[in-house]
Amino acid sequence: MTDCGQYRRAILADPRNEDAEMRLHAASCHDCTEYTERLRRFENRLDRALRVHVVAAALPNASSVIPLRSSKRPGPSRPPGVARPWRVPRGWLAAAASLLLAVVVAGSLWLAVPGPSLAADVVSHMAGEPDAWARTDIPVAQPMLDRILSESHVRLRGDPGLVSYASSCQFRGHLVPHLVVQTEAGPVTVMVLTHEASRSSTRFDEQGYQGMIVPIPGHGSLAVLERGTGIDLDRVKSVAARVRDAIDWTD
Amino acid sequence: MKDPIAGNQRRARFQALCQSLRPDLLRFAFWLSRDRALAEDVVQETLLRAWKAQDSLLDEGAAKPWFLTIIRREYARSFERKRFVTVDVEELVAKEEPMLAAADEQDLVELRAALFKLPDEYREPLVLQVLMGYSTAEIAAELDLSSAAVLTRLFRARKQLRELCGEDTRLDPQE
Repeated sequence: MTDCGQYRRAILADPRNEDAEMRLHAASCHDCTEYTERLRRFENRLDRALRVHVVAAALPNASSVIPLRSSKRPGPSRPPGVARPWRVPRGWLAAAASLLLAVVVAGSLWLAVPGPSLAADVVSHMAGEPDAWARTDIPVAQPMLDRILSESHVRLRGDPGLVSYASSCQFRGHLVPHLVVQTEAGPVTVMVLTHEASRSSTRFDEQGYQGMIVPIPGHGSLAVLERGTGIDLDRVKSVAARVRDAIDWTD
Repeated sequence: MKDPIAGNQRRARFQALCQSLRPDLLRFAFWLSRDRALAEDVVQETLLRAWKAQDSLLDEGAAKPWFLTIIRREYARSFERKRFVTVDVEELVAKEEPMLAAADEQDLVELRAALFKLPDEYREPLVLQVLMGYSTAEIAAELDLSSAAVLTRLFRARKQLRELCGEDTRLDPQE
């Protein structure tokens, strides 16, 4: 039987711990349930804190993907107080040739590769969202959900279903709500993209994720997706409709 | 004779893969090194090495751990190339202020500064778990540790982080 100390040690090491005994303890202990909710709020902040701004995914040229050394930077950085050592070029001919080859090949290919679609960027974002796929029946705290939606200037006016995860995420230069709605068949992720207009519903199937971009005329779009293949698109549509109807888009 | 179209398609897929993973690779390298410029250098070298060795990546689903392993090796190499001295964390925080304090994320500045103060052996598994979505077993394999050791480090990482951030830790367990 798990006691409070064991439970909290385990949840502090791994807040995604879905062990049955852990769930049983949480269900019977008010203090530990509260502790878990507080820890999840901290975890959401931690997740956001780790997602420091980096160069946007959509890059203008091949040298940004297989990057060249920036002409603005003289070379590799060093800790404060360390003098720049004089470095003998190490196999520079080979390195330069490799670099040139990579850039030429990448450059020629870049022309043939279309820019990343909205769906591709959504899927790319999913790859770094571990908490998003936990199957749970513990909802996020309502004030937290309200705050995350308000950061993107929307609010709830109805019931979107059991939202087990909510985070404000940087996406294409904007803060967007990243929600997970639990269904009987498992978690469905919804990104509320108020800055991304879409003309029509688009299905996508990329890198192990399937879903839809659903337009919200005049207010952007929703990206709704599940992990895996052969998913039920009707379920995705149903979650999309429920979240769309639950949000007041007029703010 | 090799099919040039198939080769081009394969390389295009690899190019797209690099592009999609690059933001997370940069973030991982940044938290590993706590130095934006060094992180960019490490990721640059990593992508070049990966580009040359792309034939060894048989399963795209395994791309992220493959890249992260290369990043860790490249970062270790950067230590071999340079003579590092003890650094002042406050100086590091000040140096990386633009990266840590994006205009719309002021509430996260304190937490990011606290992450800078975490010992490397606690920060790395935490970043692998939270940012990269690694399981305890995957972290253990990557860092060559036992699962129990990983859990201990993750426990200490969060405990220290919460204390550094002034969180209410009265209900936090003792070791």
